[in-house]
Amino acid sequence: MPIVDLKNVTFEYIRRDNEGNVDGITTAVDGVSLKVVPGEFIAVLGANGSGKSTLAKHINALLFPTEGAVYVDGMNTADEDKLLEIRSAAGMIFQNPDDQIIGQIVEEDVAFGPENLGVPTEEIRERVSDSLNAVGMSEYGLRSPDRLSGGQKQRVSIASVIAMKPKCIIMDEPTAMIDPEGRREILETAHRLNKEEKITMILITHYMEEVVDADRVFVMDKGKVAMSGTPAEIFSRVSELQELRLTVPQATGLAYKLKMAGVPIRDGILTGDELVNAIMKLWPVAK
Amino acid sequence: MKTEKVNELNELNTDIPILEAKHLVFEYRTGAAKPVRAVYDVSFSVWPGEFIGLIGHTGSGKSTLLQLLNALETPASGTVYFKGQDIFEKRYDRKKLRGKVGLVFQYPEHQLFAETVFADVCFGPLNMGVDRKQAELTAYDTIKQVGLEDECFYKSPFDLSGGQKRRAAIAGVLAMKPEVLILDEPTAGLDPKGRDELLDMIASLRDKENMTIILVSHSMEDVARYADRIMVMNEGRLILDDTVSTVFKHRQEIKTAGLSVPEVSEIVAELSAAGLPIRDDIFTVDEAAEEILRVLKEYRVI
Amino acid sequence: MHRLDPRTKIVLTFVYILSLFIFENPAVYAVAALFLIIEIILSRIPILYMVKGLKPVAFLLAFTVAVNLLFTGGQELFSFWIFTVTIEGIKRSSYLIGRLIFLVLASNLMTLTTAPVSLTNALEYLMRPLKLFKVPVHEVAMMMSIALRFIPILVDEANKIMKAQMARGADFDSGNIIKKTKSFVPIIIPLFVSAFRRANNLAQAMEARCYNGGEGRTRLNPLKYRRGDVVAYVLLVIYAVLIVLMGCFLFKAPPVAL
Repeated sequence: MPIVDLKNVTFEYIRRDNEGNVDGITTAVDGVSLKVVPGEFIAVLGANGSGKSTLAKHINALLFPTEGAVYVDGMNTADEDKLLEIRSAAGMIFQNPDDQIIGQIVEEDVAFGPENLGVPTEEIRERVSDSLNAVGMSEYGLRSPDRLSGGQKQRVSIASVIAMKPKCIIMDEPTAMIDPEGRREILETAHRLNKEEKITMILITHYMEEVVDADRVFVMDKGKVAMSGTPAEIFSRVSELQELRLTVPQATGLAYKLKMAGVPIRDGILTGDELVNAIMKLWPVAK
Repeated sequence: MKTEKVNELNELNTDIPILEAKHLVFEYRTGAAKPVRAVYDVSFSVWPGEFIGLIGHTGSGKSTLLQLLNALETPASGTVYFKGQDIFEKRYDRKKLRGKVGLVFQYPEHQLFAETVFADVCFGPLNMGVDRKQAELTAYDTIKQVGLEDECFYKSPFDLSGGQKRRAAIAGVLAMKPEVLILDEPTAGLDPKGRDELLDMIASLRDKENMTIILVSHSMEDVARYADRIMVMNEGRLILDDTVSTVFKHRQEIKTAGLSVPEVSEIVAELSAAGLPIRDDIFTVDEAAEEILRVLKEYRVI
Repeated sequence: MHRLDPRTKIVLTFVYILSLFIFENPAVYAVAALFLIIEIILSRIPILYMVKGLKPVAFLLAFTVAVNLLFTGGQELFSFWIFTVTIEGIKRSSYLIGRLIFLVLASNLMTLTTAPVSLTNALEYLMRPLKLFKVPVHEVAMMMSIALRFIPILVDEANKIMKAQMARGADFDSGNIIKKTKSFVPIIIPLFVSAFRRANNLAQAMEARCYNGGEGRTRLNPLKYRRGDVVAYVLLVIYAVLIVLMGCFLFKAPPVAL
């Protein structure tokens, strides 16, 4: 059974002008169908306004489709009785680290989810310390979130979601407001949780480097899935990506330029090492 | 090396530096008895028409440094000269200075407030004492300049898309006609195309209006592509300040400061280490492609 | 002190402050002072630090004393210019100053030894009877704790916006009062917009983490009375009895109304 199953999901909202009159209808998500298998690491790419955030909020039952249906772990998000179950099965990390930390100390924040779920006190304590451990923030349990760096705050948010024992975590541009070092911390944490705890990850981003290690990539454009495939497949379609206001990692871009100029190297190069190997393979021939 | 460069720039831009920081020290007070130092003894000169990339991780003191440059913060010691005049001198008109040294904060769209984009962009020039008619003319030009369509003029700034808001906010600073434009991570949160478009726009300000640019960015790739000089801050100190190619040669220092060199420079370095006879002062994709092709052709690989 | 249950501390502080207002005689104030000093010593907070805490109210103190000293009628002690100082005035202002100082010190002591989270938790608990009158106690407590979390963030934000507008030549110091008030519009509007945006984001984040009102919630740190709390309550009762006895009988003075 897929952990996330989107069936022809469409989401529309009504735009209003200053006087409150209906100005038009915007279709933010337009007939998206996709399945995510448990344990996968999925990346969703897309320009600003491509509908990727709106789509993400459907998986956590914060938004509901105008048409189509969303199933999380077999539960339909339209089923109101299952709401809490769905939200704890599919946890969500948001972009702004400051606006999602509710507790005044780290520990309290991590406990917020389990408290809402009515988990007994001793178990909450256990979950809090396990979750903080899992994101490498055990020493910060009693700190105020205000004193943490952006990367640390996002790791606290991840811990807060893990404390609800989710099967899947949706991360909605978690690195957009974070510096490179913090970005690395967040990405490492996500990949480790995916490998070690087998939590399915859905990462929404427009940093191309963050996509390289994903299992599958979806590229959204104007509410639709415009491209899908492995990172290697996606990144070999450089000009299409550029048309969608995106780009490719530098290694891929360089490989593409060389290939265009007639250098015989393979498609789908993602990392610097791959590119160096490909070029050096040609080199001994000259000697 | 450094003196050489200063001389060279001096010839280019005849007279004096447009901005000059001398032994800047900045401290702030927390509850504790001892004040915390955010900026330690930082000195540098900025020459007219330069495009400088300022990098450093969060908390390296770069944001404070920016605010010292247009007197939004006051140094504990040291000072800043704008065109040779001490901006912290008692009678110096710091309000006027802020019109000459324009500072675009991070997420500048959070400062939009007026009913229309047009009114918001007029705010700066009006504060500078420009008469209304002139302010409106300037606002009109600037909104065009940042690439906003005509239909945005009388929209509420809050109804614009994220990228448009960012441009409107930058226009609000540009409308004061600054001679130096300082931008604190202007591309944060934008998609790749939006990032490129905005940086191209900024680069054109330098090329067309000879504006001096100081760009703060986390992205080494962006800085490498646009700047001709890089300053690296770490723990409140200016640890590197030189041409782009020279700075990227100091890989170890850059990494210690919690930063990284552009991926493409790493690739070039690895190729060179593996025995490819390639120049190693390369930091953009285009240059790298050109150089690799040159080598491959020269040795008749292709 | 730090380990007492926050409910105990709230009740303690409340009764203490009440005692200051009900009685007004030297013996009661002496006992109250003694009680406070013992508390401060037990809390291990440096006395100097406590005294510093009075700074923000120093002006209020001086003002109250001056008004009462100079404008209370009664037996004249001496007078100068248009002012007359009376014995009653001196008495009255010394009571007032004592009361204010004790009050500020006692409440500072409470906030210094207790994390705001525990205080809101304790208030939620203590206000529970109000639920009978349809007061949304849990919601009020949640609002308080969110406010506490976001005040520093918004202060920071206000500061940033102010600087951003100053970078556009805004001037908050000069001009008459109307101009000054107007000059704050470019700060207030973005601040409101940002507060709404944050509130919206936060509501979403809370929903995403299964927040569903107060029903059925458990707690990471449930409030628990320990032995220390029992001791504290016993001491409080002794204090109260002592105060009432002295207030009512020792000086035979009728209690002053609230």
